[in-house]
Amino acid sequence: MSSAVLCERVEVHVAAQRLVGPLDLEVARGEHLLLCGPSGCGKTTLLRTIAGLVPPSAGRILIQGQPVAEGLRELVPPQRRGIGFLFQGGALWPHMSVRRTLDFVLAHAGLARAERALRRAELLEWVELAGYEERMPGTLSGGEAQRLALARALAGRPRLLLLDEPLGPLDAELRGALLQRLGRLHAELDLTVIHVTHDPQEARGIATREVRMRAGVLEGAR
Amino acid sequence: MSRPLALAAALAFALCGLYPIAVMAARVGPADLAGLLDARTLALLGRTLGYGLSVALLALALGGPFGFLVARTDMPAARLLRPLGIVPLFLPPMLIAMTWTVLLDLRGALVAIGISALSTFPLVALFTARAFERIDGRLEDAARLWGGLRAVLRADLGLVAPPALCGACLAFAFTVNDFSVPDYVSWVGPKFNVYADEVFAAWKIDSQPGRAVALALPLVALTLLTLLPALALRRRGAMASLDSDFRGPQPLRLGPWRWPAALFCGLLLAAGCAVPLLRLIYEAGGGSRGFAPARWSGAFSRALELARGDLQNSLLYALAAATLALPLGLVLGHALERARRGRYLEPLALLPIAVPAVLFGIGMIAAWNRPGLERFYDGGGLVVLLLVGRFVAFPVLLIAGAVAMLDPALEDAARLAGAAPARRLLSIVAPPLRTALLGSWVLVFVLSLRELDATILVPAANHTAMFRVFNAVHFGRDDFVAALALMLVFLILLPGTLWALFARRRLEVLP
Repeated sequence: MSSAVLCERVEVHVAAQRLVGPLDLEVARGEHLLLCGPSGCGKTTLLRTIAGLVPPSAGRILIQGQPVAEGLRELVPPQRRGIGFLFQGGALWPHMSVRRTLDFVLAHAGLARAERALRRAELLEWVELAGYEERMPGTLSGGEAQRLALARALAGRPRLLLLDEPLGPLDAELRGALLQRLGRLHAELDLTVIHVTHDPQEARGIATREVRMRAGVLEGAR
Repeated sequence: MSRPLALAAALAFALCGLYPIAVMAARVGPADLAGLLDARTLALLGRTLGYGLSVALLALALGGPFGFLVARTDMPAARLLRPLGIVPLFLPPMLIAMTWTVLLDLRGALVAIGISALSTFPLVALFTARAFERIDGRLEDAARLWGGLRAVLRADLGLVAPPALCGACLAFAFTVNDFSVPDYVSWVGPKFNVYADEVFAAWKIDSQPGRAVALALPLVALTLLTLLPALALRRRGAMASLDSDFRGPQPLRLGPWRWPAALFCGLLLAAGCAVPLLRLIYEAGGGSRGFAPARWSGAFSRALELARGDLQNSLLYALAAATLALPLGLVLGHALERARRGRYLEPLALLPIAVPAVLFGIGMIAAWNRPGLERFYDGGGLVVLLLVGRFVAFPVLLIAGAVAMLDPALEDAARLAGAAPARRLLSIVAPPLRTALLGSWVLVFVLSLRELDATILVPAANHTAMFRVFNAVHFGRDDFVAALALMLVFLILLPGTLWALFARRRLEVLP
């Protein structure tokens, strides 16, 4: 069976500076991989490269066995890679209510209006935000905003979920609750998760494997 | 960013903003460049440089304190004075010149410097005020604990100086390219010849287009040399004072200086807009020939009767130019900020405002006065094209600045959701920038209404209100000029007034 993500000799350069690589990484289906390392070591860049938001300058990336990028050549655009991305800080659209945020993604996933309402209700149920449909991101607490960001990441039924410091802005109690929710969703939705953090302690309980990154390369075996 | 969309916008920009410049540049022959830097030209360039620097320094000295006082202190009426502070910039500088040359017996360079500084100090004030309100309150709290208000101001200075200097650079660029103030000052007193005059004369009097372009080259270089650092300073100012975990600063207490500060700001606005407007009202009522409010209706009726078409044209051209420049500015501003090498294209985006306005107008004539294009050349379409080409640089740069403050992850999230580039631009980028977009629209609208320098030679633009005022001034029809100028000012200030009356948010010209 092919892996969920396979990076082969991937490198990322920005303005002649090498930010990532060369590195090899294989993530099996259903894994919850914890990618940790100090700030600025290239974790987020690697995540963005897998998502297709940053082109690799060399190497090859395969998702679910399908080549999606080969060097600077983009073979599959980001929106067709079946990826959900929880951005650092949430990156919620400040001018869209909870309902509009999810509908925006669901509409682009090709869901009809009636289906959208059902799916939206399901997503809000998962992240315990039912009844928050008309709230604007600015009026949500840190935990609620992060749960909305998670619902948005899951809205397109991704097979691969990329989490960039998902617990960063939350206090200890909220971190625990969100981790529990992530663990449950991981199992229920049969997701593969790559979870980037600078603090490996935070998610060891739910991770199936942990790799460390330093100065753009992975330490130890892939 | 969608490549076809960006290319279409770039093509439109090239057509209206760069093509006239290219056409003029192609006319420069080796003979035109000969003796370009002779003693006379160098002396004129030196005078223009001195004039621009004096205006920039005075604008900095006036606009810096004004911006600080209205944005960050407990000065009385600060909230009222702040929006009024932009009015002198919006008024045609010639209207300010018409007032102060009558009221004061000053002539020549000094009065030109004073008038141009009154017209451009709002640029410094805008940048300074914006920078002051972006300083995190905690930075000021730390400085206050260490050494009170004086320490706060010293700590703030490093953050505010780059944007304030950016405003001064823009004041310099506006001044050295302005033709109307030196021309008017020269008309009422001894000749005050500046470089823009020389370019105008080379075309109009000597009929030497190649020479006019060649003459303008040092001025273009001077303007670009000023605008590029201005952009770098703007970027540095924004970077230095913005933080994602931002806490707004508290108003600073001026204590016994509250009322003197309000007096300073009030006097500045009186000199920059209230006195010129009152003088126009006075002149419209008969002025020194016998002022009577009853004469107003006669003057306004006559102005409306004689210049109704000109006012309608001005309004129509300005509306069309602002409305067309906005989508162009959004697409190009976004591309400039987000494209990998977008910033290298900034000098190109600046070119239409770096070229002397007179030369840009001449370029338009040279580019479009061709067989088969007579109807377009003689119609309003050319005027709109000229206004879009000349002023689209402002929305482009303002929107690029606003996009820079938008988290790119917002667009990434929409991209992963499958939103196409145009949809991302409209649904994700544009809504958070709506006040900046509206501010850009208003800016192009106002600049188009008060435009004279670039349109003065274009036949189709001879039927605009500003051109009519310029012409009538030279024929001494004071009540007609005053009434028409007041109607023009009314149109100029209308969008800002409506916004102030009915909108809940403040109109932002700067991102």
